[in-house]
Amino acid sequence: MNFVFRKLQASFTQQAFVFSQTLPVCRAAPSVQCPAWGAAFVNERQHHSMPTHEIGRWKHLMKKRVQKKKKDRFQMKPIVAATDSAYGTLNVQVSGYDMTLVEHYTQYIHNLCNQLGINVGLCYALPTKTMEVMLMQEKGTKMYVDAVLKTHERVVQLISLDTTLCPVLMDVVLKNQPEGVKLSVKEFTEADFKDRFKERPEMRELMSQINY
Amino acid sequence: MAAACGGAVGRPLCQLLSCLSRTAVSYTWRRHFSATSLCRTTLQTQRVTESAGSPWTLMAAVCLQRLPVISADCHPVEQRFKQLTRQMEREKSLFSDHELRLLEDAERMNRKRAGSYDSDEEDDNRGQDIVLAQDLEDSWEQKLKKFQPAPRVKAVVDEDLTSVERCLADSLVLLAEQQVGSEKLWLLPQAEWQEGDTLRQTAERALASLPAAGFSATFLSNAPCGVYKYKLPKAARTDSLVGTKVFFFKAVLSSMSPSTASNAPLMWLKKSELQRFVKPAYTMKVERFILDP
Repeated sequence: MNFVFRKLQASFTQQAFVFSQTLPVCRAAPSVQCPAWGAAFVNERQHHSMPTHEIGRWKHLMKKRVQKKKKDRFQMKPIVAATDSAYGTLNVQVSGYDMTLVEHYTQYIHNLCNQLGINVGLCYALPTKTMEVMLMQEKGTKMYVDAVLKTHERVVQLISLDTTLCPVLMDVVLKNQPEGVKLSVKEFTEADFKDRFKERPEMRELMSQINY
Repeated sequence: MAAACGGAVGRPLCQLLSCLSRTAVSYTWRRHFSATSLCRTTLQTQRVTESAGSPWTLMAAVCLQRLPVISADCHPVEQRFKQLTRQMEREKSLFSDHELRLLEDAERMNRKRAGSYDSDEEDDNRGQDIVLAQDLEDSWEQKLKKFQPAPRVKAVVDEDLTSVERCLADSLVLLAEQQVGSEKLWLLPQAEWQEGDTLRQTAERALASLPAAGFSATFLSNAPCGVYKYKLPKAARTDSLVGTKVFFFKAVLSSMSPSTASNAPLMWLKKSELQRFVKPAYTMKVERFILDP
């Protein structure tokens, strides 16, 4: 066995000698190592001593995202104007006394629009309105509360609804309308947007004072 | 076809506004249509100069539908499922305020009857109510018994094909008997298109020109939903007239004036009954856009 080792050693030393001669030649050639400012080639990995370093890196593959400022006010999306072949921004308002029916119907409309490929902008709820039904007492003058009715309202906003698709959608939606639920299709205006906000009486007074 | 395109391109779009609702039990099938300002911008029809007149006569027809007034009856499987889900919900639910009050009152009654009852030991002063929850429930039961809902199905009215109030659970389509060429046929009310009109206006005219007019309808869109092409028999064809093309527009009935004559040639039919009265080629095209139910 020894002679085998000796032979190997000899061959090795020979090889080393060959290498040392050719090493300056190699050095002059462009080095395989990356320049200092980082991995220009994506598949390059540094640290040959740590073979799995940065193996899970993926953030550099994504596009840069601009951080949204948290102080942005809730702005209204611009109203799309109607063209010759499509309606602009439409509001489909569903209202009723029974909340489960109203919500399920809204979900149904939303899913139907998604399936038909209609662009749905927003889907929001308007504040609930409570109505108290007062009845006159028999043999008396006092009114007493008979029932409390709450009107729930949900809005689905459709953007650029195609005119050819409109009758199909309306027909399906009307034929599946549940009992006790009101449906209304209107154009979306600024006033509708303002309806969603609460009144600020002090702000109003201050503004009127400024403008005065 | 060029004329129809000209009409469609030249005018700005109408704003569609309609409001619809349903009453569950009451028999009035009138829908509450608070049509908020169906404003229409002025139409400017640009005349597309046609070098050669089209050999087809254009007509617009209206598919007027009366939507169902009451909900359809449930399938037996649906009924069983409904009962099952109701029972499950009831078993999982918590007590409501009224039911809690009932239980408290019952408990208090028992304690009163026990004998060693001291009313000063009552925790809450609300217990001095005169009206017990049980009494409230009894009064509500009485009110419910007094209420008589209208019958859902009236067999006599169902048989009458000309009545609008038949088959409240289905949607009906209006059919009119009109003179076409030399024969009287049952079809969707149609009218011929004239220069200067849009197709939708023609359809509205078709509806208004019916002998028993008094329908107020909401058209669902400016675009037609179907087409029927009819070629005249070879003998009647000329160079300038090959046949007719009928464009269908969908509309929903909002209300009807009660002064309609009962002997007018009008019928309200369900989709399944259409083929009894209408020619098969026509039915094939029309059935494609009528949704059931």
